[in-house]
Amino acid sequence: MIQTKRLSRLYGEKHAVRELSFHVRHGEVMGLLGPNGAGKSTTMKMLTCFLPPSSGTARIDGIDIQQDLDVRRRVGYLPEHAPSYNDLNVHGHLSFMGRMYGVPVATLNDKICEMSAACGLEGRLHQRIDELSKGYRQRVGLAASMLHDPDCLILDEPTTGLDPNQMVEIRQLIRRLGEKKTVLLSSHVLSEVDAVCDRMMIIDSGELRALGTRDELIALSSSGLLLHVCMRGDADAVVAQIHEQYEACKIDSQVLSGDGVTKLIFRHPDETISLAESIFTAVVAVGGVLLEMHAQETSLEDVFHRMTGGTS
Amino acid sequence: MNMAYSQVISLCRKEWRIVMDTPLGYVMAVAFLIVCGFFFESNLFLMGQADMRAWFSILSLLLMFFIPAMAMRMLADEKRSGTFELLATMPITTMSIVWGKYLALWLQIMVLLALTLLYPLTLSWLGDLDMGQVLASYAAAVLLASSYAAVCLYASAITRYEVVAYVLGFVMLLLVFLLSKAMPTFSPGVQDWMVLLSPLSHYQSMLRGLIRLSDVMFFITMSGVFLTLTWFELERRRWR
Repeated sequence: MIQTKRLSRLYGEKHAVRELSFHVRHGEVMGLLGPNGAGKSTTMKMLTCFLPPSSGTARIDGIDIQQDLDVRRRVGYLPEHAPSYNDLNVHGHLSFMGRMYGVPVATLNDKICEMSAACGLEGRLHQRIDELSKGYRQRVGLAASMLHDPDCLILDEPTTGLDPNQMVEIRQLIRRLGEKKTVLLSSHVLSEVDAVCDRMMIIDSGELRALGTRDELIALSSSGLLLHVCMRGDADAVVAQIHEQYEACKIDSQVLSGDGVTKLIFRHPDETISLAESIFTAVVAVGGVLLEMHAQETSLEDVFHRMTGGTS
Repeated sequence: MNMAYSQVISLCRKEWRIVMDTPLGYVMAVAFLIVCGFFFESNLFLMGQADMRAWFSILSLLLMFFIPAMAMRMLADEKRSGTFELLATMPITTMSIVWGKYLALWLQIMVLLALTLLYPLTLSWLGDLDMGQVLASYAAAVLLASSYAAVCLYASAITRYEVVAYVLGFVMLLLVFLLSKAMPTFSPGVQDWMVLLSPLSHYQSMLRGLIRLSDVMFFITMSGVFLTLTWFELERRRWR
């Protein structure tokens, strides 16, 4: 479990992270979203005891990050860009990492085999790391972070540089791990966080903007019901009827194309009303033909854009 | 085995593996032996005596060029490639990192010095060599190299660039050398202090075949000071 309370970090006079409070439960994958420079990596550096917080506290499995050696033993960390020892081969790197984390020598080789299989590194164990592609280096970093079987995994942009197939594999791996461990992963790829995380938080300029499940975040920043309608017939009459029925309803756009088809966007702040049904009835009543109607859902991109002030 | 101790050994082993797996170590060893051999031979044939004092004097100069080269990537490379973040988030103290790196560097230098044992062995076969003096001189060389290694490790800790680390290490050692050469130009009071604080004057005094506790303590203290500075430099990121 990861728990932070008013965690802050100053670089000189500037706040990189400001009063960040959140918790990640055991068996949960939490996504840390934010534009570049939002404070994602600094947050992770504090949780892994690379940097001490300027103020506030954080606990990993109940242990304060001040007791850094105990915390580090429990955490598996993949830093941004997955740095590894380029002059060593994959086996050499993993074996060094294992030894440093106190993996018993007797089981070290089995562990390396297990983790390299999980990360798709079989057959690459004796290749030098500087000869590997970026995707494979990312896998090496991921395998290294899990060698000592940590309770808590902190992954800074774990899938950057991977091709789409590798991305799917790594996401599945993280999902599997998330069932038994506490995982905090940062990313600015929204689809990734959407696919992998149970909950997510959005930070911007070091401050927490939103935290919750995907649906909670969408509900939080939803701007009401948005209906796209495509019809043939007297659109003005339909609009008048709808306005009569729902005063708060607004028309975002109304475009009449050459073939007599009108495209309309209706907006209403209340999502629970049956606007679609009313539109259908109104179109039929004016003798028109309804060609298409769909509700526009708020996407995670919209949420992100709104929460981070469109800085990304 | 104690965890911290085994981590220091693991870190040291990793450094060795990099030295053995890359041309770095071999190039350094060959270059060192060629240069050392050249000065040994020229002295031997010039003087025609079974004596190594002149060679040991030159050795202190050679260490000034070679140790910065062996130490330059130790920490600078970790910082530049980002692996320092891996190292610093492992369950290991910063002091253990410094010890692991220092031990690896020290052992590399010791291997180079051990290779030069061929020269006294040759000399003792050719003529009557004062083995006591040679052993004391080797002890002096080991101590001098140890303190130089600590200085250069510190140079490697303060920058991300290997070349800068080399230049910094070399300049620091050069300063020591130049100051001890310029010693006669200072006033007698200052000279006394300089003799006390110059590693080269302690080294020269040991080359006479006399191992004094004060000389040994000087080199150990100097190494300790620079290892502490290295530790401070690595910890500094936390206080910024």
